[in-house]
Amino acid sequence: MKNVLIVDDSIAVSRQLEKIVNSGEEFEVIAQGRNGAEAIKLCQQHKPDILCMDMNMPVMDGLTALRTLMQLMPSLAVIMVTSLGGVGDKYTEAIRLGARDVISKPFERDTVLEMLRRV
Amino acid sequence: MAVKFFGQFLVEKGAVSRVDLLKAIDLQDKTNLKFGEMVVEMGLMSAVQIAKVHHAQRSEDLQFGDMAVKLGILTTEQVQQVLTRQRNNHLYIGEALIKVGAMTTAKLETYLKDFKQEQSAYISEKIEIPAGVPHQPIWEMVADLTYKMLTRVANLSFRPGPCTLIDKLPSRPIIAEMGFSGEVSARYLLSATKNSRELMAKAILDETSVENEPVEVLDDSVMEFINIVCGNVVAKAAQTGHSIEISPPAMRADAAEGVAVPADHTGLMFPIYLSDGEVFELTIFVAKE
Repeated sequence: MKNVLIVDDSIAVSRQLEKIVNSGEEFEVIAQGRNGAEAIKLCQQHKPDILCMDMNMPVMDGLTALRTLMQLMPSLAVIMVTSLGGVGDKYTEAIRLGARDVISKPFERDTVLEMLRRV
Repeated sequence: MAVKFFGQFLVEKGAVSRVDLLKAIDLQDKTNLKFGEMVVEMGLMSAVQIAKVHHAQRSEDLQFGDMAVKLGILTTEQVQQVLTRQRNNHLYIGEALIKVGAMTTAKLETYLKDFKQEQSAYISEKIEIPAGVPHQPIWEMVADLTYKMLTRVANLSFRPGPCTLIDKLPSRPIIAEMGFSGEVSARYLLSATKNSRELMAKAILDETSVENEPVEVLDDSVMEFINIVCGNVVAKAAQTGHSIEISPPAMRADAAEGVAVPADHTGLMFPIYLSDGEVFELTIFVAKE
């Protein structure tokens, strides 16, 4: 069982993602955060196998948190979550910073699970 | 006077009874299949493939058929076959009323003319931004994508009204907002009725009922809905060489008092008339240049 940390400022999105992650035997959500600063804190505290993190969040955005996390925990598998339709500079920047993949909101269950298995 | 659907207009004028209108709507529902329903009837796609196309449409502004082609599920020729069949089979409400014996052709033409005249102030066939507002194509695209997402994601049946300039957004129970920055500077505000908020929540949470959900989660779904719309705006703008950034969505605490347009902004309001008679608005506060 791999541990997953979800960080998204949207309760609705976090809940949908949690339902998908916990739907099988392979993954389990261990904690949830609401912004990039919480992501850094919770990663250090829980040391998850996979972090699913939104790009666009208040307090600290996902890309800023990703930049810091890749320095602190370079082997952490990060999947960035975005509403930007998988195009644009932010997608490229996330991959360049070390994200393993980027997933577009809203989610399709099979796509999320497939991505979690791949990373 | 308000925005109405033709059937509602006919009932109000006493031209048809509610029972006859419902009969005609039933006939329309059975006859006018959506693209996704038509491909199933024609045996071209499975339910799983349809769900895949619907999900992909939320992230990219493509019509069902075009998305199915992009995903390699349908060929362009098959899409044309479906569209032709849809077009040939389409039944308008007036025709449906004639078929159920509630209306004659001659009366229909007269009422249709009266209806168009009465509704001309409300119906917006084309999105037109008032002269002098900077970056007009961007705001046309924002309104267009909002309408598409309300249909595709929230499954809402509505009519867009013409865009007008406003000084203040009227009092509304729910208003969610996001900021645009970069090449343009503006605030995107979407008000919602309780009914439309429920529909958005069902779609975002992927649940058939949201009756027991707390208000916090329902409001959050509206914010996530506008996040999806604005995310699509950014993506579409990038395709045409424009760089736009978005800030996270938030709820307006002053929604109940109404929201005044800041002095250095122009307020664009796009009314959205629902079939149940309710109205809500897309509003954009565009920074003056």
